[in-house]
Amino acid sequence: MDLYTAFLRARRGMREDAKLYVVASSSLVVAFLCLAAAVLAMTNLSAVSERWSRSGRMTIYLRDGVSEADAQRLRETLAALPEVESAVSLSSAEARAQFTRDADLGGELAGLAADAFPASVELTLRLGTSGERAEEIAARIGRVSGVEGVETYRAFFARLTSLVAAGQTAALCAALLVLVCVLAVVGNTIRLAVAGRRDEIEVLKLCGATDGYVRGPFLVEGGLQGFVAALLALALLGAAFFALRGPLDGTVAALTGVRVAFLAPGVALAIAFGGGVAGVLASAVSLRRYLAV
Amino acid sequence: MITRGPRPQPPTAAQEPTGARPFSFFRAGNRVDAAGREKPILVLEDVYKYFDRDRPVLRGANLTIDRGEFVFVTGPSGAGKSTVLQLIYRKLTVDDGRILFCGRDIARLTGDSIPFLRRNLGIVFQDFKVVPHWTVAENVAVPLEILSMPQKVVRARIAEALERVGLAGRGGHRTGTLSGGEQQRVAVARAIVTEPALVLADEPTGNLDPQLALDILTLFEEINASGITVVFATHDHSLLEARPHRLVVIDEGRVFEARSGGEVWAGSHAAARTGTNATPSSQAVHGLAAREALDGADLVSLQHVPG
Repeated sequence: MDLYTAFLRARRGMREDAKLYVVASSSLVVAFLCLAAAVLAMTNLSAVSERWSRSGRMTIYLRDGVSEADAQRLRETLAALPEVESAVSLSSAEARAQFTRDADLGGELAGLAADAFPASVELTLRLGTSGERAEEIAARIGRVSGVEGVETYRAFFARLTSLVAAGQTAALCAALLVLVCVLAVVGNTIRLAVAGRRDEIEVLKLCGATDGYVRGPFLVEGGLQGFVAALLALALLGAAFFALRGPLDGTVAALTGVRVAFLAPGVALAIAFGGGVAGVLASAVSLRRYLAV
Repeated sequence: MITRGPRPQPPTAAQEPTGARPFSFFRAGNRVDAAGREKPILVLEDVYKYFDRDRPVLRGANLTIDRGEFVFVTGPSGAGKSTVLQLIYRKLTVDDGRILFCGRDIARLTGDSIPFLRRNLGIVFQDFKVVPHWTVAENVAVPLEILSMPQKVVRARIAEALERVGLAGRGGHRTGTLSGGEQQRVAVARAIVTEPALVLADEPTGNLDPQLALDILTLFEEINASGITVVFATHDHSLLEARPHRLVVIDEGRVFEARSGGEVWAGSHAAARTGTNATPSSQAVHGLAAREALDGADLVSLQHVPG
């Protein structure tokens, strides 16, 4: 039997059992929504982690009262270091203005004092500078008079890395949970469909249908159920994402330096087709148990 | 009892394409070649079937059916009429003996090959076995779709089959809304739509009133007239009496020839046909008649059976 015939017969079967498939697919949409949300969170956490691991950034906070000329001299000294790609001096007022702009909170920060943020020098290290070397440089800079402190973001990066690792484990657990859910929901749907179509199956067998011909539409139905449920879940997640991105994006970007992004097309397709494959698998398992042809 | 003649030989390697599915070589209905027309379409040889080890349903059943024949199979309830048919379409497997369909031993077919056997058969049941929520056309289309025929051909064949069974123009109706007789006609249309070599009818009139039963029998006769072999299992004596087709009786696990087609029983005729000294089945048939009489049922008209 060709796939087209199986698809036509599956369509007829799904139309006949429409209510059953709608209820079952709704449960699957929720399951896939959880999975897709977990993957989305992971994707963005990984992007932040990637951004910070690559950046080799260092912020040197200056003491209050350090003159602009001293700050400029320090910037020039640091820029001359072989490991430093760029050094940018940021006055207290510039830091405040930058934060206000990035945080996108408008008037709410209007009352912030002009010297709320210390003056600083932002260093970007050259690619390939090791963490140890960066720590050495930070220690040396920390001993310079006028320097209040040096932030290498290493601790933050370590925390982020462990958060990403935990997120990956959570996403994996979600994926396994979804797989179990798909196996259970699709499996039971197919079991009910087989029971409801017992007469049809008998007629097919008596007319000379092979086992593959009888099983084919059920496999297609399982696959379609998984694929469509995953697709609907992605659509719902996409709608929610784009509705919430506007208000959140600026804040997140200010805090992490990364703009939030939706799932890459490849990842979304993988989830949709993964749903289809899981549906076919669940259907095959169910047919093995409940369809004696 | 009809005793065995020489065992028909299965097709040689030259006749059957290498690696082909069993029966894929077969051409159905009246399109069979001249050599094929000479061979019996169905042969049962010493067939045994047990459901209970001590009481075999069939014990050494022998039967030969030629291509194009119309054969009534009758016998008391539980005698094994349906069992014989189920062995032919391989719902059941023989415990001993051979069943040759077009010279091939179908008793030894593997599970994978059974669908290919059934594609050469049309089967009609007492309970119709139609899908009530499908349309008439969808029910009739099943065997054609299994054969992956193009939709254009499927539509043409369905129209032709429905015309033959008197349901022209009813293809779009839901089968469940039809009367019993019409549903049985749908089942008959489904059975003949592929022009099979052999149609097996297992009590097809069991759920119908006498007039409808006669109509359905007539329909099967028309099908037979087009060259399709028909095996018609029934215990409806009025039908057996109404038509002079060949009649075989299954009783006590054996198959007896009670009447040859179109004429009164003649032992010599049967002997000549099987090539052996066939024994008239009078005792068994009388036994059946006696049992039916005890049941208060109508007797099979057996006056032509020598005592």
